Amino acid sequence: MIKGILFAILFLWPVAQVFAHGDLSMRIAEKTIEISENPGNFELYYERGLLYQQHMEYSNALEDFITSKSLGNTGKALYYAIAEVHYLIEDYGEALKSIVSYLELDSINVKAKKLEAQILFHLKSYKKSLEAYRYVIHTMSDARPEDILEYGKLILAEDNKNYSGALEAIQYGLEQLGPHTISLQLKKLDYLIASGQIEKALEQYNYFILEYNRKEFWYFKKAKYLAEINRPHEAFISLKLASVAIRQLDTKFKNMDSVIILIEQIKSLENSLNNQKL
Amino acid sequence: MIKRSTYLLVALCSAYSLAQTSVVEKPNVSTVASTANVGLPQHIASEVVERGPYLQSGTPTSVVVKWRTDVATESVVRYGTALNSLSKKVSNKPLTTEHEVTLSGLSPNTKYYFNIGNRKEVLSESTSGDMYVITAPAAGTQQFVRAWILGDAGTANNNQRNVRDAYYDYVDAAPQNKGKTDMMLFLGDNAYGSGTDEEYQNALFDIYDDMLKKSVAWSCLGNHDGKSADSAKQSGPYYDIFTFPTAAQAGGIASGTEAYYSFDYANIHFIILDSHHTGREVGGAMYNWTLTDIQNTKQDWIVTLFHHPVYTKGSHDSDTEDRLIEMRENFMPMMEANGVDLILNGHSHSYERSYFLNGHYGFSNTFNPDEISKGGHTVGPNGFGDGKVDSNGAYLKNSAASEGAVYITTGSAGKISGGDLNHKAMSVSLNQLGSCVMEVEDDGRGGQNLTVKFIRDTDGIDDYFTINKSGLDLKAEGKESGSKSEGLLYEADRDLVQLKLDENERLKKVKFYNNIGKLVKKSRRQTIKVGKLPKGLYIIEVITNKRAYSESITIE
Repeated sequence: MIKGILFAILFLWPVAQVFAHGDLSMRIAEKTIEISENPGNFELYYERGLLYQQHMEYSNALEDFITSKSLGNTGKALYYAIAEVHYLIEDYGEALKSIVSYLELDSINVKAKKLEAQILFHLKSYKKSLEAYRYVIHTMSDARPEDILEYGKLILAEDNKNYSGALEAIQYGLEQLGPHTISLQLKKLDYLIASGQIEKALEQYNYFILEYNRKEFWYFKKAKYLAEINRPHEAFISLKLASVAIRQLDTKFKNMDSVIILIEQIKSLENSLNNQKL
Repeated sequence: MIKRSTYLLVALCSAYSLAQTSVVEKPNVSTVASTANVGLPQHIASEVVERGPYLQSGTPTSVVVKWRTDVATESVVRYGTALNSLSKKVSNKPLTTEHEVTLSGLSPNTKYYFNIGNRKEVLSESTSGDMYVITAPAAGTQQFVRAWILGDAGTANNNQRNVRDAYYDYVDAAPQNKGKTDMMLFLGDNAYGSGTDEEYQNALFDIYDDMLKKSVAWSCLGNHDGKSADSAKQSGPYYDIFTFPTAAQAGGIASGTEAYYSFDYANIHFIILDSHHTGREVGGAMYNWTLTDIQNTKQDWIVTLFHHPVYTKGSHDSDTEDRLIEMRENFMPMMEANGVDLILNGHSHSYERSYFLNGHYGFSNTFNPDEISKGGHTVGPNGFGDGKVDSNGAYLKNSAASEGAVYITTGSAGKISGGDLNHKAMSVSLNQLGSCVMEVEDDGRGGQNLTVKFIRDTDGIDDYFTINKSGLDLKAEGKESGSKSEGLLYEADRDLVQLKLDENERLKKVKFYNNIGKLVKKSRRQTIKVGKLPKGLYIIEVITNKRAYSESITIE
């Protein structure tokens, strides 16, 4: 027994040192011991595969998942795990095969449908991807801003002119998550600009200016946009507002790197506008 | 024999992380049910409080009270400013075992005692006055603030209890504001190994029960919490247990998610990020939210917390692990440029505390201890010092020089796991159990000190440092209400703007633009009435026969 223990110590101690990843390394080592005692147990390989996946050792994870499958594991969770690892290593074809197997067992799982949509997106099968994601968005109980943004991206991937659809998705997100959810409001601005809806884009800048405590960055961004769409006088006024907003900041903010850079940007744009006049 | 040898092996391999555990006690949920009212008056209640009460999402005017009962019942919180007169009541009629009641319309900075129960009876109360909420001060208030910081605490063993007790001893013996803990800040991994509901019961509610009844708890998501919490669906124990602001209810900007959020407390802005599940890329949703949020605050101090450490050579390595590198490279340049003062992380089960830093986003071996003006990564004459008032002196920030932040990896509130502990940006690296306390107080010279102490499980204070911020009283230039400038005189009391023209100068036109740049008034007069203009900022564009210029006024 003592010999066995010493052997295992010699084997495991360096493993723990090499991984240097705290508990996870230890749990992988523990699971390896369990596997050595029950080499035919597919559940153990699946569990170790998940640990490898968390440890970002994707080839080891995949090897364990495949072993688990060969030992008789037909659980849907295994299919999801295989699909996810293939997705992470950007082998989208294999990822799709596995997630399809999963969805044959459970066609309404939101998490699996979402992964399917993401895989299809990378395979440039945009229509199917969007279809799957639409199901996700309208089924999931608690959407995140990230989900809504991804939905908008898929809508535009499927039809790069469909900004009205993408904006509808954003509006849906604002209704679900709250009207002031900033990442959605910012994306709304991006879509309005990209689709050439100038007056609505300016209204969106005004929304930010009116909604938030500090306005100097928004005034500048609006001025920059106005300059880009060749409305120099309005840009000039917005720059003036930005400068006044900075003057009204407490001293400590005026000396922050971000504000110092902003002041330079304001001067630069002002010079550029003045040169245009000349 | 095999089974015995395997057990021994695993025990040996785990020895370095568990060696300090003298006795591992894991109270279970049923134990909690029978001890929920320990120290409190006994009631013959038909329902039993199994969890809580605990406080969430505190603001100057509201707080969320949560608790769990064994059977479904209505939710009632009775509260008041006097312990013997809890005259106000908020009820939720739907029967539930998971109770969540929002008290609103409260006064800032005010102590409210409360009890919980149902329509018929009180299920949990404290006649000694140990169940209360002190509402947050109004944003911007300069006053003493104390926060208890707990990283990777959730072992539910004696290590965790010893760390807890050491803090309780500290705060009970504190020379000022004795017994006061304004908030608990959890840095994630609050309940090992997977953040399940039962593990949370054992490692959070059973351990910190007394404090959770009187101090609002905030948290970021740790990787172990993330095993059972699903950030993609905002579900699972972590998200069920905690209630965080998604719509800027406690200050800051609406994130739309409990995964990352912000809140104000007194003159401190706290930014809580999810370094585990949420995308960490520049331009991603969390990044954009953080940028907008930090550029919107007017608070004197900015503190951020997230689980994965920016700098560590403990049980994790910030030179090799992706989340740690991404948070450092993607988020820190932006947060430093916008004035962050203190960064709190966990994940490595050790205590590592940096010098006073700015601009170090590379690996440990790229750290340059020189001052930033000399191309290095430390700030100020003593930025490479220990930050101790009684030694190298406090780290200094003032209104003219806003750079400088201290990074703390403090993930040893439940266990220690060693590591090389030799990150070059760190002033102190300790493989010791403990938690941190952050205290902000006036320095007596118009500024404030932010002091953090590392309190060992043995009651000792093994590290401390102070950031002194002066010039907090330097407010903005007077808004141009009743202002005078080269080009105009604004007489607020008479609602008049008088333009100053040279002798030979002839006025052609004057235009007023409001705070969104819209033209709202035109004139050709030298003295202009502005009484009918709404309050706000205006840019005034003046064109004469000789020049064109612009001025601004703020009508209040």
